[in-house]
Amino acid sequence: MNRTAGFVGLLLVLIGLSLFLWKVLVLELPLAATDAEGLWRIELEITARGTGRRGSIRAPLPSTSRSQVVFDERSASDRLLFTIRTENGDRIGVWSGRLAGVHQVVHGFRVQLSEITTPLPSRITRQPSSELRARWAGSTREFPSDAPEVKAFLEGLWPSVPENLLDCLRTLFGFVADEIATVPSGSDDALLTLSAREGSAVGKSRLLVTVLRAVGLPARTVLGLQLVEGQPPFTTQWVEAWIDGEWIPMSPIDGSFATRAANQVALRTGSLAEIETTAVAAVGHRYHALRERLRPEELAAMMIPSNPWLARLSLYQLPVSTQSALRVLLLMPLGALVIALFRNGFGVSTFGTFMPVLIALALRQVALAAGLMLVAAVLLLGILGRLVLERMHLLLVPRLGVLLCAVVLSVTSFALLGREAEVRELSVGVLFPMVILTMLIERFSVTLAEEGMRPALVRAGWSVVVAVAVYPIFHSAVAEHLMFGFPELVIVVMGLLIWIGGYTGYRFSDLIRFRAFAKPGGGEPS
Amino acid sequence: MRLLRALRREGVLGINRRNHEYTLRWNPRRLYPTVDDKLATKRLCQAAGIPIPGLIAVARRQGEVREMLGQLADLSHFVLKPAHGAMGNGILVVRAREGSHWQRAGGRPLTLEDLRYHAASIISGLYALGGQPDVAFVEELLEVHPALAEISADGVPDVRVIVHRGIPIMSMTRLPTHRSRGRANLHQGAIGAGVELATGRILHAVLDGTPITRHPDTDRAVLGVVVPSFARVLEIAVAATDQTGLGYVGADVVVDAKKGPVLLELNARPGLAIQAANRAGLLPRLRAVSERVRPEAPLAERIAIGIEIARTARFVESA
Repeated sequence: MNRTAGFVGLLLVLIGLSLFLWKVLVLELPLAATDAEGLWRIELEITARGTGRRGSIRAPLPSTSRSQVVFDERSASDRLLFTIRTENGDRIGVWSGRLAGVHQVVHGFRVQLSEITTPLPSRITRQPSSELRARWAGSTREFPSDAPEVKAFLEGLWPSVPENLLDCLRTLFGFVADEIATVPSGSDDALLTLSAREGSAVGKSRLLVTVLRAVGLPARTVLGLQLVEGQPPFTTQWVEAWIDGEWIPMSPIDGSFATRAANQVALRTGSLAEIETTAVAAVGHRYHALRERLRPEELAAMMIPSNPWLARLSLYQLPVSTQSALRVLLLMPLGALVIALFRNGFGVSTFGTFMPVLIALALRQVALAAGLMLVAAVLLLGILGRLVLERMHLLLVPRLGVLLCAVVLSVTSFALLGREAEVRELSVGVLFPMVILTMLIERFSVTLAEEGMRPALVRAGWSVVVAVAVYPIFHSAVAEHLMFGFPELVIVVMGLLIWIGGYTGYRFSDLIRFRAFAKPGGGEPS
Repeated sequence: MRLLRALRREGVLGINRRNHEYTLRWNPRRLYPTVDDKLATKRLCQAAGIPIPGLIAVARRQGEVREMLGQLADLSHFVLKPAHGAMGNGILVVRAREGSHWQRAGGRPLTLEDLRYHAASIISGLYALGGQPDVAFVEELLEVHPALAEISADGVPDVRVIVHRGIPIMSMTRLPTHRSRGRANLHQGAIGAGVELATGRILHAVLDGTPITRHPDTDRAVLGVVVPSFARVLEIAVAATDQTGLGYVGADVVVDAKKGPVLLELNARPGLAIQAANRAGLLPRLRAVSERVRPEAPLAERIAIGIEIARTARFVESA
């Protein structure tokens, strides 16, 4: 190895490692994620265009309850005043001021969710207060509990003097949950849902609240967020009924009764309104969510290390969407390291230098075998297409363009097929690097024509081997935590790469090529 | 492990070391264009009076293809090549003519339309090293020298000479086979035969890395055959390399039946298989060059130094 490369490499490895060790040993930052359950970082992002008058933007904020602990809230907005108002026990964030031009509001928080099952009372001992009754049991436009249709409907289902309230309640719930179909295009209105025997998720929730109120139980809808790892969160709603002093959750959509899953955050009760505004011409909002794997105290250490300099450099302070992107980005150097080892240590040749890394990256979200099969299917279709194109004698760039279209089309149809067959793996194709796949098809075809089937397959095989070798790294929560929490490790990787770059010894492929030298004999010609 | 020791003892050069200590060190990037562009190499050689295969026609743009093909109307044999091709890719050898059709090496028929398409692909950069727009050219088809005809099949053998800092140090001839489809390309199945620098005699030969003694298609003995006009081959290789300023070059020379040795092309990243063909490592010879190099010496003297090094250099374990 040449001396400069060795020295520079060593320097980088030492710098990176000492930073890393200092953070781990002196600042005692957590080395491995403990894989906390139900801890999420959520961000609400609102963009609004004002009319130039004074007004406000209002959004529900989650409160801490038995099933969710909300902490580390932070809000950012330009030129607007932020206050939190409590309305009927809900927290509402209000951003007010003169709304002119485009305003952006970001409200982030962390929430620890836990699945809770509310034990149902065996006997009803407590009756709701009149205050509670007035607020949550009255007939309204949204919940027309004294409408004649509701009364008629209840006649068969609800005895005038219920002996066992809970049994009757279950029957009622069962009817709305099972006998009324959930259709996305269905009505949001309680009475229309009842008469059509089908409704939207909102319609069914409203109907359940309406009938609960009609039998005298205080009930309300809850607006919440459904969290799915690796996907953007979406708003959802469920119903709560006041029974013997407890609000009992139930969902006529998924059929859960008296339990709430640990992936739902309650945002507000009594209203399903998400964002309300005055003096705003147009408004849009979006939720981002990221599952945290560190326990809250570990997270605090990572976010605000005791060293003030480091605190500024902590990636955990970044907006959620940037964090998600960086978590992937910071794994790329490890991929490059594996590629360099394979190429300069083993001497294998793959199609496209970093292609296997990009493929492994695209397959991050799915099982490896299924993903590779998808890649193979796309490539096969492309290569077949290439054979057809071959006859037309097209020029290179338009030909590549046609192939690119074919790749995009096949990926699109796989995504559709995946929805039909409910196989999620089929839809990850959209994450593939299309242009690189196209070049791959072209190179494979040319190699096939010029050098024959064997070299083409060998090279394709090595590409798969390298992708498979990189995949576990991209899939590992440990690697993700290490690279994201300790980005100085990228400097270590640089040092290692410089070492590999300065390696002048034999590659494994050299050994195979010159294997004849191992046998004695064969006089040396000179 | 025994293999590793054997390779170290023989001083076999590996790819990593070749890149670090030879190509990256002795071949400055700015000098690459003259060898990567075969037309530039041709111009360089022509100016220096080094024999090359005759150039018939050139197409630099898609619009010039028609004109280029027009010049082929009366020809029955020629070679269509990309100026920036690597490893023999994109080379179309036309052997014979039957009426309006030509015949490729290997016997497949070829129409004017096929030629137009191939030339267009070349210009689009399909075969170029980096995929950049390329130039297509047609040159005369060389003929196998009778002395080598019996040990080559379907194509023309060439002679590769490694020239380091003006001194030739190792050489091999690449003999095409049926399997290599007439190409002088080792990884496609051609024979690599080590040629003694002093005499031009083939002393060792490999096919796919394994030693052989006879040509698999013609069944003639390969060992002992002498490459004709080999002294002239070395002169051409060294003279052409001198024109480039590069310090580590593989020069490819073909001994044509009529014209004698002509320079085909130069390579700034010559492969390492020549060591297997010679059953000898390059390192001892490369190191000997650094001790005995005399850049100002006349060509004949440098060739003599090369022959001397090839005869005597053995590997001495060093830093």
